[in-house]
Amino acid sequence: MKLQRVRIEQLRQFRQPLEVGELGPGLNLIHGPNESGKSTLVRAIRAAFFERHRSSSVDDLRPWGDSSAAPSVELDFECRGVQWQLRKRFLQQKRCDLQVAGDSYSGEEAEDKLADLLGFQFASRGASQDKHWGIPGLLWVEQGSGQNVHDAVAYAGDHLKSALNSLLGEVASSGGDDVIQKVQSQRAELLTATGKPRGDYARLGEEQKTLVTELAALDERVAHYQSMVDRLGELRQRYQRNEQERPWEAARQSQQEAENRFREIEQWQQEQKQEQQALDDCRQTLELLRRQQQQSQVAARKLTEREQTLAHCKETVNTLQTREEQVTVAQQQARKAYDKARQQVRVAKEQEQRNRLDNDIKQLRLQLETLGKNLEKARAHQAELQETRNQQQANPLDLEALEALRKTQRQLEQERVRSQAISTRLHYALESGQSLTLNGQSLQGEGDELLLEASTLALPGIGELTITPGGDDLARVQRQLERLQESYDNQLKSMKVDSPEQAGKLAEQQAQRKETIQRLEALLASIAPQGVDVLESQQQELTRRLEQLQSEQKVLSEIPGEPVSLTGAEAALELAEQQLSEADGNLQEHSKQLFAATQALENAQTEWQQLKGELDNPERQAAERSLQTQIAETGERATRLQQSVSNRQEQIDEARPQLLQQDMARFKASAEQLERSHQQEALELTSLESKLESQGAEGLEEQREELAARLEHVNRRFTELHRRAEALDLLLSLLQEKRQALTRRLQAPLQKHLNHYLGVLFPKANLDVDDNLMPGQLTRTGQQGQETGDVLELSFGAREQMGLISRLAYADLLQEAGRPTLIILDDTLVHSDRRRLDQMKRILFDAASRHQVLLFTCHPENWQDLGVAPRDLEALKTAN
Amino acid sequence: MPRFLHTADWQMGRYYSRFDNDDAVALAEARFTAIERLAQLARDERCDAVLVAGDVFDAQTVADRTIRRVFNAMSGFSGPWVMLPGNHDAALAESVWTRARRLNAVPDNVHLALEPGVVELKAQGLAVLAAPLTQRHTHSDLTEHFDHLDTPPELLRVGLAHGSVQGLLAEDIDSANPIAADRAAQANLDYLALGDWHGVKQINARTWYSGTPEPERFRNNEAGVALVVDITGPGAEPDVRRHRIGQFEWVQWREHLNVATDLDELLQRLEELPAPAVVDIRLSGEVDLAGEQKLLHALSVAEARHRSVQCDRSQLSLQPTDEDIAELNADGYLGEVIGELREQQESADDEKAATSRDALAILTSLLRDRIEPASESAGEGQS
Repeated sequence: MKLQRVRIEQLRQFRQPLEVGELGPGLNLIHGPNESGKSTLVRAIRAAFFERHRSSSVDDLRPWGDSSAAPSVELDFECRGVQWQLRKRFLQQKRCDLQVAGDSYSGEEAEDKLADLLGFQFASRGASQDKHWGIPGLLWVEQGSGQNVHDAVAYAGDHLKSALNSLLGEVASSGGDDVIQKVQSQRAELLTATGKPRGDYARLGEEQKTLVTELAALDERVAHYQSMVDRLGELRQRYQRNEQERPWEAARQSQQEAENRFREIEQWQQEQKQEQQALDDCRQTLELLRRQQQQSQVAARKLTEREQTLAHCKETVNTLQTREEQVTVAQQQARKAYDKARQQVRVAKEQEQRNRLDNDIKQLRLQLETLGKNLEKARAHQAELQETRNQQQANPLDLEALEALRKTQRQLEQERVRSQAISTRLHYALESGQSLTLNGQSLQGEGDELLLEASTLALPGIGELTITPGGDDLARVQRQLERLQESYDNQLKSMKVDSPEQAGKLAEQQAQRKETIQRLEALLASIAPQGVDVLESQQQELTRRLEQLQSEQKVLSEIPGEPVSLTGAEAALELAEQQLSEADGNLQEHSKQLFAATQALENAQTEWQQLKGELDNPERQAAERSLQTQIAETGERATRLQQSVSNRQEQIDEARPQLLQQDMARFKASAEQLERSHQQEALELTSLESKLESQGAEGLEEQREELAARLEHVNRRFTELHRRAEALDLLLSLLQEKRQALTRRLQAPLQKHLNHYLGVLFPKANLDVDDNLMPGQLTRTGQQGQETGDVLELSFGAREQMGLISRLAYADLLQEAGRPTLIILDDTLVHSDRRRLDQMKRILFDAASRHQVLLFTCHPENWQDLGVAPRDLEALKTAN
Repeated sequence: MPRFLHTADWQMGRYYSRFDNDDAVALAEARFTAIERLAQLARDERCDAVLVAGDVFDAQTVADRTIRRVFNAMSGFSGPWVMLPGNHDAALAESVWTRARRLNAVPDNVHLALEPGVVELKAQGLAVLAAPLTQRHTHSDLTEHFDHLDTPPELLRVGLAHGSVQGLLAEDIDSANPIAADRAAQANLDYLALGDWHGVKQINARTWYSGTPEPERFRNNEAGVALVVDITGPGAEPDVRRHRIGQFEWVQWREHLNVATDLDELLQRLEELPAPAVVDIRLSGEVDLAGEQKLLHALSVAEARHRSVQCDRSQLSLQPTDEDIAELNADGYLGEVIGELREQQESADDEKAATSRDALAILTSLLRDRIEPASESAGEGQS
């Protein structure tokens, strides 16, 4: 759809006609300041389409204060390849004329044709509102409402979907949504939104539970009732039987019998007790008698014992007496042996002493001899030593003075050599026979003279020559020589030697002597460390001792006999001593024993005699015989009684009195219990009968039947509702599933267009479209990576941008479906920043290549770079 | 020439839980009517006595009112009634019978055979040998003592017992309350009147089950009759005639529908079924939309004619034809949903299949309502 020309007259501020012609097929930018009439122009276009020409609710179109005005709008546009012209006048001389490719329509027919073409409705009453506007409502954006795309989409929904249907073919269901709604409402009667039962369905479920509980209770009561009936039958039978048989009487009879029997046994027990007493007495007597008898028997036994003791004692004494001589002889022999052994020991000791003396004397003599030799040597060494020491002391030589002399000698020689070196040398070679005189000394032949002082050479025949050696040194050396010579001579003199060589020889001799002294001293020390005098006194001491020993030796008598070993003699003595002591002991012991045995014999004799006397008493023998008889009699009686008692006990045991007593108690208790329970059963019978009577009247089982029927009925109804609920649930989910699948297919093209524009603003972003083709979730790459949020949560500016993008996408969609598209934007995107606005301009320019866009603005400077010439409304006004 | 009426198994006090309340009450009421009809029959046929072979009451503790109504309903026949306790109303220490006596509800002409023995009806020429159940179940043959019971020679020996005749059915071999099949011969009975089997059944010339006078199950064959027995004298062969007492026939059909004619044949039978009846139909197989509508219509008609019509269609899958779908204007995804539900009906999971079938029925009915909102709704599911 391309709008080509708009003309308005007597409409709001345009009392005079205003014509906007030559509108381009793409973007048209119309600008003017506030109140210049932009919105009026938009309102006029809307009125031309949306308002019935007969409507009386369009007073706002009338210029202020001009009640006679007839607002009119003329529109020329091209659509579906044909030319359309619409003329519409409101309030006065209302008219609507439409020319389409030569055909003319007027009035409501014309208006309906337009509504069908563009996709909107008319208001049934009053002014047209946004809910009627359909597609144009979506594409014609009023000032300040660009961000609110949701209402507009909702109002355009059916038109959009039908457009999509035509795009996709017959995929949508003509009445699907209606069916879904019905299924939903039917389901809602049975189930809540979360799928829980509600209403009758829920109530039936509850009732079902209640009935089941009640039924169970009733079942239990029926079972109880039946068990009571069974009990009654049983009880009644037993009661009647007991009434006839009266079992407690039989029990009483048994009790009586047991009692009688028990009395009888009690009698026995009495008798038994008496006889037992007699038996006990009898036994006691017997015991006493026996004890008496035992005592006399003990006396007799003792006598025998004493006889034996006596005999034994006699034998002992005899034995001891026969042994006496033997023991005495042994003791005497031992004594003799002992004395002999002692003698042997004394001899052995004397022999040993003599031997030792001989040895000592021999030893002493040897020592004396050695000592004599040493003393001799020591005396010789001492004499030599004394002599040498005397020599040494006679010719002492100072070794330091000798050293000083040698040093002086060396200096003197050195000085002499030096004087020769610096003296004047006089060489002479004289003709044979010729001579010269030097300092009075004649010189012949050839030779050298050293001149140390002024010398006079007398040349025979010629005269004298005085030669004086030059230089101070010669004079000093001369003086030094003289001084050293003097010292040298003095030293020799003091040492009393003629030359240093002599002195050296003397020193050597002195050293040799010193060595000799040292050697002799060492020898002397080794032979007589404590001196020669000590050696001498030792010699005297030893001599004295020798004399003493020799005198001792003389004293010792010479005892003849064989040499005896002391050790052997001592051992023999010890043995003899032992034997002697043993023999003494034996003798002593023997005497003791003998004494004791004799004593014992006497005692035994006395005791035996005494007891024998007693036993032989005739009175005593008579008493013993009587005792014997008594014992026999009493024993016999006890045996008799014992037999009788044990026989009776057996009888009593067999009768089991304890069991009888138990029987008595048992029968008694049984009788009582039987009678009591019989009475109780009578009571229970009555009570059961009355209970059953009253419960039977309730008709429990019939009640139960009725309740079961009710339950079954409820179950059936519940099952029906349950099945219905499930069926509705299934149906609804299937319908929604299919519808969603369809919607997704429908959404695909819209999604494509949306993402086409969205990519310019946010690369790779995605805007979801919901079932109703509304933009929903926006997913884009933000600062923190992927972020997703509802479009409604964006800022106002961003929502406005999204709104515009969505509208352009819808326009693309509609165009694809062959629907007319015209986009009118009244002062849009005023909240966008510069950068976003630039992007939006790219989007808008792109859209304008497919759709006609009318853009009204009061900020033409914002839209300069859209590549179209802006049209100034003010200029248009003046142009008309 | 004695003539007596043989009936049994009244099961008074039974409640029919499988039916809706109205039907259940009506069916329970029909049992009282049956007693009145029996009394009427006895009078009409000039019977000398009425023998009731056990299970007069369905339970021991029925309401007092029920007890009184039972005996009131018998008032139409003033001759002697001999009533035998069966397994449901055994002569226990406390029983429905003792209560009836305590209530003074038992008329003088009614003989309660609460103990084994002979009830002599000299005036009627009958000696009734009774084998009442005195426990809920016994495993010995209570009729055995008939062999040793002496009766006056001029009276007919008629046995009255309640239980299972041995060897009648394999499954009855171990059943409680056994009765020897040749008891009549062994005990030299002229006739043995039996109860417990709810259909009429002849065991031999002298032994019969009368069955219940008013049917209360689908299973029994030939329920709802009473027997009028004529015996000319001791030793004579009994002449047994059946008389219809029951009001309602109980019909149970299990049908598998494959093709359209299957359904037609079923509907034909339904139409021809004599009214009033109690009908239980269980369908499997498949049916198209038109068929289903036809079925629902026929069921609706039948419900009005009969006492109760129950139809279980949970195994019957709804298979709309392409024409059906086109007619329903089920375009777009609605068509897809129908297709999917059709497939799911064939699921091996019975529950899922049934749910899909219901869902499909709901959907098609909604769609039909949409096309013809004014037309009469055919209903949503089971009646």
